[in-house]
Amino acid sequence: MIRLLLRVLGHEYARPVRRTLALMTVTAIAEGLSYAFLVPVLRALFGSEPADAWPWLIAFGVAVAIYATLRYSSDLSGFRVGTTLLRGMYHRLGDHLARLPIGWYSTGRVGQLSVLAGRGVLQAMGVIAHLLSPFISAAVTPLTIVAVMLAFNWQLGLAALAAVPVVAAIQVRTGRSMAATDADRAERDNEATARVVEYLQAQPVLRAGGRTAERFKLLDDSLQEVQRASRRTTLSALPGIVGLTLAVQAMFTGLLVLGTYLALGGNIGAAEVLTILVLAARCADPVLSLAEFAGQLRGARSVLARLDAVLRTEPLPEPSEPIQPERHDLEFDSVTFRHGDRTVIDDVSFSVPAGRRLAVVGPSGAGKSTLLQLLARFYDVDAGAVRVGGVDVREISTEALMAQFAIVFQDVYLFDGTIEENVRLGRPDADDAEVRAAATAAQLDDVIERLPGGWATNVGEGGALLSGGERQRVSIARALLKNAPIVLLDEVTSALDPVNEAAVHEGIERLMAGRTVVMVAHRMRTVRRADHVIFLAAGHIAEQGTHDDLLHQAGPYATYWNLSQTPELHP
Amino acid sequence: MRELLRPYRLSFAAVVIFQVIGAVAGLAPLLAVVELGRILLSPGPIDDSQAWYAVIAGAAGLFVRLLFTAVSSGIGHLLDDRVQLSFRRQLATRLGSVPIGWFSRRRTGELAKVVGEDVSAVHPFIAHTPGELVSAFVVPLVSLIYLFSIDWRLTLITLLPVLLAVALVPLMMTPTRQREQEEFDAAMGRISSSVVEFVQGISVVKAFGGSGRAHHKFLKATDEFVAIFYRWVRGISGIAAGMQLALSPPFVLLVVLIGGASLITTGSLAPADLLPFLLLGLGLTAPVAALGHGFDEMQAARRAVGRIQDVLDVESLPQPARPVAPHGHRVELRDVRFGYEADHEVLRGIDLVLEPGTVTAIVGPSGSGKSTLVQLLPRFFDPTQGSVVLGGVDLREIGSRELYRMVSFVFQDVRLLRASVADNIALAVPRASLADVVDAARLANIHERILELPRGYDTVLNQETSLSGGEAQRISIARALLADAPVLVLDEATAFADPQTEEAVRRALATLAGERTILVIAHRLETIADADTVVMLENGSIVERGSPAELLTQNGKFAAFWRSNDGARQGEEAR
Repeated sequence: MIRLLLRVLGHEYARPVRRTLALMTVTAIAEGLSYAFLVPVLRALFGSEPADAWPWLIAFGVAVAIYATLRYSSDLSGFRVGTTLLRGMYHRLGDHLARLPIGWYSTGRVGQLSVLAGRGVLQAMGVIAHLLSPFISAAVTPLTIVAVMLAFNWQLGLAALAAVPVVAAIQVRTGRSMAATDADRAERDNEATARVVEYLQAQPVLRAGGRTAERFKLLDDSLQEVQRASRRTTLSALPGIVGLTLAVQAMFTGLLVLGTYLALGGNIGAAEVLTILVLAARCADPVLSLAEFAGQLRGARSVLARLDAVLRTEPLPEPSEPIQPERHDLEFDSVTFRHGDRTVIDDVSFSVPAGRRLAVVGPSGAGKSTLLQLLARFYDVDAGAVRVGGVDVREISTEALMAQFAIVFQDVYLFDGTIEENVRLGRPDADDAEVRAAATAAQLDDVIERLPGGWATNVGEGGALLSGGERQRVSIARALLKNAPIVLLDEVTSALDPVNEAAVHEGIERLMAGRTVVMVAHRMRTVRRADHVIFLAAGHIAEQGTHDDLLHQAGPYATYWNLSQTPELHP
Repeated sequence: MRELLRPYRLSFAAVVIFQVIGAVAGLAPLLAVVELGRILLSPGPIDDSQAWYAVIAGAAGLFVRLLFTAVSSGIGHLLDDRVQLSFRRQLATRLGSVPIGWFSRRRTGELAKVVGEDVSAVHPFIAHTPGELVSAFVVPLVSLIYLFSIDWRLTLITLLPVLLAVALVPLMMTPTRQREQEEFDAAMGRISSSVVEFVQGISVVKAFGGSGRAHHKFLKATDEFVAIFYRWVRGISGIAAGMQLALSPPFVLLVVLIGGASLITTGSLAPADLLPFLLLGLGLTAPVAALGHGFDEMQAARRAVGRIQDVLDVESLPQPARPVAPHGHRVELRDVRFGYEADHEVLRGIDLVLEPGTVTAIVGPSGSGKSTLVQLLPRFFDPTQGSVVLGGVDLREIGSRELYRMVSFVFQDVRLLRASVADNIALAVPRASLADVVDAARLANIHERILELPRGYDTVLNQETSLSGGEAQRISIARALLADAPVLVLDEATAFADPQTEEAVRRALATLAGERTILVIAHRLETIADADTVVMLENGSIVERGSPAELLTQNGKFAAFWRSNDGARQGEEAR
């Protein structure tokens, strides 16, 4: 558990954590030892000379003072370390998430991550601040008390000691059986969260289909699964809790019987027996609470394990000696890429000289978008190489590689912030004039004028408050501001109504001027402007050449375009 | 909250009663030790059998305690599971009936948190708190009465640590602390939504990535959270640690022993009477410990319940008390006005009639209110003024089932569910046969592609496979084709159009035309040209309407609009 915690935290935090743990253990031992003074105190009070108790009572007072000091400082240390770790943990997770390949981010992960990165991290760090101290004291203090008992009366001490392995065995057993149900439960929770997110985001469709909550079985099923998993957790926890209580109570009953027997036989003084029974009563409560703490610790442990799994996912490897590309040409050299067991890109080779435009055309699902993503190294290829300026993208540092590209993709995602912040994302150190110029070039001005808050209008999560065309323009402005030598364009104009289309087109023209361009195109008129066209079908190049040549060849490319024709309208 | 929990009253009562019986029975072994002490310490000969009676009574008490607490806790947890499910269902139902517009102002992450985490946070409230809290007060109360009956002076002394701890409680509940607590929750919510954003926007993050500045927002949210958390902890940890110390067993025992020793040495207390205080005295701290410990959770639960309540209190779109069935499917908008905010009208007095068997195309610049207008037909919002009438009946008078049977909608922004292809297509018609689903898919130009999927129509989308944008569009067209509603609203779904999808849209429009009432937000000149009526929207008002040919001869705004686009296109084609 501690090892897992330290691994998740990173080893720079090992020392403070270990120190805190040691402090907590010492505190618990100090508490147990202080009780040793109860025996002489009570012996005196129950005896004929009660006044003899005072020196022992003073000694007990001193022991309590030592314990108090230790306890106070270990409590504070727990809080402090927990908070420091919290920050470190969030940063570690955030940095790591940003480095993971995009392929890792499936739909289900959104739900999983939002639980994990939100309450999950807090829960894991809470282990140190809140749980470890009571847990350690609940385990160590009774052990120390048993040692004290042994010192005063070996028979009663041994009887108490007999309970220790039983309690330990029950704890371990329960822990094992619970780990499985806990994992199951966490999985159901994630599943349900993902369903809820889906349910919320798909509300318009669901309503149009008349699917309200009770008729949306997918969500209801997953909610019921959560309930069932939770019930399984409860039922599998019950034997452990009952067993533990039974063991502790049997121990206490045993001591009571044995103590009475010994006292009645005159083998032990009344004061000793009574003190030991007081101490035994003192042991029972913390040991019983072990079950509760252990449950919480297990919860935290499973969170830690999930954090660990995320943190152990390998990001795309960074080159040890990065090479800075000098030119801006692009090359695909016999590239093959698989997604699961489906081959998305199958032995594709082409090159784009610096400053030229390549159009990628093909039916949906042919792998066009993937091809762009491989250029920007969102994934690594399975065979062959992708080169920028003659350098394999795997040899270029992520930062240097990203600096090469301005990307306008079809699914424009805007962050919940102002328009200005979203544009500025292209180049955070740009000055205001540059940001405005990019916005103007992308024809954002009239959008900004229309919005109630102008520049400072918040665009909502995912840019929900802007129309599709407006989002496109923001993303073009972003790309213009970035001013990178290579432009990757995933056909953007088709989402737009005619007015937006004209505006966006102008922006894109400016973006492409003088740069190396690879664009995925759905419209013939975009394609006409490319220097070279490749027609992609089922992951491989079916045809390539200039647009006019390909049309004349009357191959798959020509057939493809013949599907769409423009009507004529004459009044 | 009380309302929500009413159906579970009996179970709650059982949990509490069993817990109390168990907890009180737990005092028996302690009293047995006390009794044993009196017997052993009493001068004169010891009565063996009396001692053994005490031992048996103690053991019996322990057994009763085990039985009752286990039953109580079992019932409590199972009850909790049921309550949570019912909360989640109620939330889902409510969220499924609030106006769609409400969502655009909420973050998905925060809402998902309410349904997930916040409901889970109610757990202690239901499974633990009632039983534990009651026994935390009943047991000390019983002990206190017993102790008072033995010696009132020592009882008061035993209460000293409790008083000390209680004195610290107000310090933890100052307005500052409570404000920090609220800030803490708000910051937590921001982390959730920034994570959703971070993960969904990851391609942007990566494209502009580099030196970690792109996920800046997530880190900012977490830093802010940690700062708030730290402030809260720093404020509270000293007091909390002090309180823990005052209630810690060694300290309580020390106080009891000092008091006891003083009384015994002065001869005003029998030594045997000290025992009950040593044994039961520690139990008196339970309520305060519960206040400190259980209260945190209680308050967290209360805040969570507050957020749940907030969602449940959102007004849903009102449903008619006596639904009226529409006659036919002629759609009329009568002087419709609508604004998302009170002072900002998006639609300013729209009068529009959509005749059955015609296609009406809406055109206009972005922000002119096109999307808002079409969303009024499936009643995502109610107009703030005027009315939308379907088959002679105001939409507000039509039952929602009937309405959805009449009006189907193809959205620009396609959401596929993580479910089989067939289920995705049959979303609006759950009982459709596979043959019908296949027909719709064929018409929507997606059948062939579906057959290529690993398990054809049974393939689970977004899990076993994911479709490209154009393919997703075609699924949503197939959905509408299958729904076969007499009124179709189409926000021309060409966001990822490729020739096949365009073909699908065209075929869909051709197939559906006939008796249907069709309203299209037109993005393609082709659609505009084929429409019966074109409506030009500008700034929330209709500026021109008529057949495309008429409008062109009128030479007004539409003509200018058409020519600017068509001209651009012709020019390009010639180039």
